[in-house]
Amino acid sequence: MPRIGVYICHCGENIAGAVNVEEVRKYAEKLPGVVLARDYLFMCSDPGQELIKQDIRNGLIDRVVVAACTPRTHEPIFRKSVEDGGLNKYLFEMANIRDQDSWPHWHDKEGATAKAKKLVASAVAKAAFLEPLDDRFVEVTRASMVVGGGVAGMFAALDLANMGYKVYLVEKNPSVGGNMAKLDKTFPTNDCSACILTPIMVQVGTHPNIELLTYSEVESVEGSIGNFKVKVRKKQTYIDWDKCTGCGDCVNACPAKVPNEFNEGMDNRKAIYIEFPQAVPKRAVVDIEHCLSCAKRTIGTKPRIHSKTGEPILAPCEKACKTGACDRSREYNPEGEIVELNVGTIIVATGYKVMDKAPFKEYSPQSPNVITAMQLERILSATGPTEGHFHRPSDGEKPKTIAFISCVGSRDKRYHTYCSKVCCMYMLKEARLIKEKYPDTNIYIFFIDVRTGGKDFEEYYNYCRDLGIKMLRGRVGAVDELPGDRLRVRAYDVDLGAPVELEADLVVLATAVEPAPGLEELGRKLGITCGSEGFLKEMHTKLYPVETPVKGIYIAGCAQGPKDIPESVSQARAASSAAAVPLTLGKVVVEPLISEVNQRKCAGCGTCVQLCPYSAIRLVEDKGRLRAKIDEALCAGCGVCAAACPSGVITLHGFTNAQIHAQIKALAC
Amino acid sequence: MSNVQVATGVINLSEGDPGLVNEIKELGGEELLECIQCAKCAAACPMVLAGFSFFNKRVIHAILLGLRDALLDDSSIWACQSCNRCTEVCPREVNPFEIIQAMRRVAIREFALPTLSIEGLKSLYDTGHAVYLAGAGSTRAKVGLPDKPPSTVANLEALKELQAIIRQTALADLGIIPMGESDVTETCEV
Repeated sequence: MPRIGVYICHCGENIAGAVNVEEVRKYAEKLPGVVLARDYLFMCSDPGQELIKQDIRNGLIDRVVVAACTPRTHEPIFRKSVEDGGLNKYLFEMANIRDQDSWPHWHDKEGATAKAKKLVASAVAKAAFLEPLDDRFVEVTRASMVVGGGVAGMFAALDLANMGYKVYLVEKNPSVGGNMAKLDKTFPTNDCSACILTPIMVQVGTHPNIELLTYSEVESVEGSIGNFKVKVRKKQTYIDWDKCTGCGDCVNACPAKVPNEFNEGMDNRKAIYIEFPQAVPKRAVVDIEHCLSCAKRTIGTKPRIHSKTGEPILAPCEKACKTGACDRSREYNPEGEIVELNVGTIIVATGYKVMDKAPFKEYSPQSPNVITAMQLERILSATGPTEGHFHRPSDGEKPKTIAFISCVGSRDKRYHTYCSKVCCMYMLKEARLIKEKYPDTNIYIFFIDVRTGGKDFEEYYNYCRDLGIKMLRGRVGAVDELPGDRLRVRAYDVDLGAPVELEADLVVLATAVEPAPGLEELGRKLGITCGSEGFLKEMHTKLYPVETPVKGIYIAGCAQGPKDIPESVSQARAASSAAAVPLTLGKVVVEPLISEVNQRKCAGCGTCVQLCPYSAIRLVEDKGRLRAKIDEALCAGCGVCAAACPSGVITLHGFTNAQIHAQIKALAC
Repeated sequence: MSNVQVATGVINLSEGDPGLVNEIKELGGEELLECIQCAKCAAACPMVLAGFSFFNKRVIHAILLGLRDALLDDSSIWACQSCNRCTEVCPREVNPFEIIQAMRRVAIREFALPTLSIEGLKSLYDTGHAVYLAGAGSTRAKVGLPDKPPSTVANLEALKELQAIIRQTALADLGIIPMGESDVTETCEV
């Protein structure tokens, strides 16, 4: 007969505020198998844990049930105290009477108390059937993959590489750098973005431990912490990168014109192009969709021979190429190449994109002088379409009056309900850069709230006000086009209590930060989920901000939510140290909560083989009969096989049929 | 916050006077740009309770936007009671009272001041009191007080000194009120 100890936590007022703890304790005391029931203000504190340990040491109990908060954060803590007390740590069960009881039923104290009793009874019933289990250890592949080569991904990769681990840095664009490479200067210190970023890009490109996989995307991920098997698709560049020197001769020769993504569509690039002058690696790629196949030089065909000269007729790009990197006679697989990587941990740092202006019809997006803040960033940048000259798009004139509109697509139920967090500061920064260079410019920022929380940010804001940048509280209701390329901005000035209008030469929309395209799909491949806003969900907002529910996968930067550069870098470095822990240990503990087949009774029908999402089960021959066999390293303990087995001979340890039936029965009482 | 609208029409920001900020700074409102429109001053201001459209916070905001005409077309700034509570409570050390004073200086330079203010200034010059009730003498006598209070009203020398001082101010250049020495009357009755 098991001797179960029940421990009920008050969680300060969190539980005790809704649940009558003493009533639950008295109830628990009388449950079958329970030899003692105690309560304490904070069970997870040292004295709380000590209660459990002492009762075990005194030989009073051999099973432990804690009714407290969520096992997500606290199960490991209590398992440890059970182990320290001298019991197998799996002889422990937790009832969540906070998240699933006191919080949602806060205003129904009687109901919350009744529910707490049921949850405790259910946990006690399961505890009677608990069995000791042994942890498994898996060897860790001492390498890591970082997805996304922006500032967060690069720092995560560099940290791991500097610790001595092999890092595969996967970036979907031809170059690393990410959005930060597009910025002119960066708040709050106004460092030139290129000046601080390009050296990092070079470090990443030359680090002996980093293998750059640019123009590549993650195709599939299998396995678990310690041993992920990743397939990465290297997209077809149609250029031999081993030979390409990045000289740009082919680019100059190409006659095709394609809107330039790097300059936010404000000028054109060629069909064969180098993403930007400071690209790492500096290599050309052919955008095959826009390639004109000059001289009928379709990829993979032999050139025609000139009837008079006898020379082959080449396309301008290959003619210009001195190294033979651009050779259109070569057969290229349009699907690119699949590379298989084995890594122990993965960091996702896929960044963000800013919203386009098109959906905001009220702001005359058809006007070339209504631009996004990212477009202004490119106009201000020395590497941008105007080479840093402050010209507006319609006529190249220097704008005299500029209106910034904040929260475009942010704090807006039609698009994104969240605050994009960085817009207030980047609007101030862009306004400041302009005002410092051209003090006569009239700059108006229309805002809802100025949010400048961050080290040195408020000082930055004050400095901008001192420069004479005008701040108006009130969301702009309309931007109308006027003759002469002028724009009329209409708003209600809340501080004045009056409608206002302004004639501007340039209107800048601070459009929302949103998840990078394809993030949700990548999340599915990795088994991690996005929140309602589309950003990846961390394990715990406060305590485990870079961890995900999938062990061994970590997140950093704007993939998790809008962030500025200092925050992205901090998070990246936090993620890299978290991701280094399993690599350093060399082996990781895997919970023994996995499935096992009773081979003697298995009929070999193969139902489980088909259903296993982790491909962990196969049929093996045993004495002339096929039987299912589960690979312990691959099994994730999801329980699908155990539920589906027609013969009922698969056991999911920690969730056996007997345990679950007992729980259900207790709940039904 | 007062819901009184400052103007009936739309305010055109493009017509704002970019020079107004510097003018105010030169005339005593040095800390103007420190204001972040938190409205703590407005919460302490009797003008808000009385329903004036331009009170400390709004005056500052209008100045920052260069709305000279809107401010001059309105008489609110003259309603400030100089209680100085705004200056006491301001967390940004903006000194809103001084900014209203500076705005009054701007207004006076453009002769944009209400008739009542002219009368008050004239009374100040003539008697040393912005508000002085000449007919109060008999009431004073009833309670056993001298006919005139012991101020410039009863002290011709002091009044002359005061007038000399006023003649040294910008008021004399503007010629809003007559300031002849000969104008000093023996009785100072107004």
